[in-house]
Amino acid sequence: MNEISLQMREIARDLLSKNEVNLVLGWEKGSHWYKSAPLFINKVEDVDRLVFDEFCHNNLSKYLVDLAHHEAKVAIFVKGCDSRGINRLIQDNVIKREQVYVIGIPCRGLKDPDDAVGKKCGEPVKDAVKCQECRYPNPVVHDIMVGEQVNATARGQETAALIEKLEKMTQDERYNYWSRQFECCIRCYACRNVCPACSCRECIFDRAVPDWLGKANNLAENQFMHLTRAMHVAGRCIECGECERACPMNLPLMALNKKIIKDIEELFGENDAGIDPEKKPPLGHFELNDPEKFM
Amino acid sequence: MSIDNAWEPKILVFACNWCTYAGADLAGLSRLQYPANIRILRVPCSGRVNPQFVVRAFLKGIDGVLVAGCHPGDCHYTTGNYFTRRRFLLMKRLLEYMGLEPERFQTRWISGSEGPKFQQVVTELVQDIKALGPNRKLRDA
Repeated sequence: MNEISLQMREIARDLLSKNEVNLVLGWEKGSHWYKSAPLFINKVEDVDRLVFDEFCHNNLSKYLVDLAHHEAKVAIFVKGCDSRGINRLIQDNVIKREQVYVIGIPCRGLKDPDDAVGKKCGEPVKDAVKCQECRYPNPVVHDIMVGEQVNATARGQETAALIEKLEKMTQDERYNYWSRQFECCIRCYACRNVCPACSCRECIFDRAVPDWLGKANNLAENQFMHLTRAMHVAGRCIECGECERACPMNLPLMALNKKIIKDIEELFGENDAGIDPEKKPPLGHFELNDPEKFM
Repeated sequence: MSIDNAWEPKILVFACNWCTYAGADLAGLSRLQYPANIRILRVPCSGRVNPQFVVRAFLKGIDGVLVAGCHPGDCHYTTGNYFTRRRFLLMKRLLEYMGLEPERFQTRWISGSEGPKFQQVVTELVQDIKALGPNRKLRDA
């Protein structure tokens, strides 16, 4: 068992036994060696199930949306990317900072569970794509930290390269590319369900009246869903890459979100969502001298 | 006459109640001629226009969308159009990234006294869209 997991258990045991929190969000080992699942603990006996390894993908900050009205304080383990989700939820007034006890874990990057399928434990596994361009491996908000700070290192540029490739294509080529992708969407809404930026009480895709999104699963409705979702999370996406990881059809959703982040930076200046809880989101405020290129 | 020759574009104009709608009214009062391809949808403010209104319009078979509101600084609600500006600058880039032709989605500031500008913007828009032909993208069958 690794050092971090042992420390996590000690902290959780301490918090629960002293009644400082009555719920701890962490990860436990799943059904395979390459799977780690979210874990909710409210009893001291269960703390030994907690683990942290290279497959703890789930961004637990999403669960705080459902726990916004939880009666007591909640302890939550966060990686660097997840911690930005906490700041985002505070910015949106979904949760209050004093409601959560944040335990930060500096993250060296996770492994791709899909690549581990069929391999034996210990065999080399590819790095997760979502971690390749990580710029915040250390939690930006935390009450205590477990483990040592790590330095951000770019290990690949897959998404950035895809965006560049798409930008160089003609309009029709781009349209064909995205159509081929969105044709595969099965509308399971996993991307929305794991996204800490999707914090609406009622999602427009679930509403029957008005029926913004038809129930038919066809290309046009899928495009509507993904374009709308991209605009809804624009300026609030924390680049945790969970949408892409959770997608059963492997749609390149981060190529959409990262493109928007890139555009926001070009148009309105540097903006990393969820770094500074005091900062307003880019589409939630304006400057008098914003560009007007479409006039 | 073939079907292609009979095709006329359908264009949706989101017009803000306080400026562009008045501008369109002025264009009419002044007997300024503009193509009959546009459908005007009056909104309280250009800031009311939600990104999904635009995508949904394309889904339902619109060939071009224009969002028009007050000039910056003139908003009836003081700041609505500044939000519009940010939102649609971004959305325009997103739609282009998805492969839509940039001419199909446009934003303009047209004040209540700019009847001739309304005429000009609409005429140019219709010309642009006619040159592109019917929209097949983002469309529901």
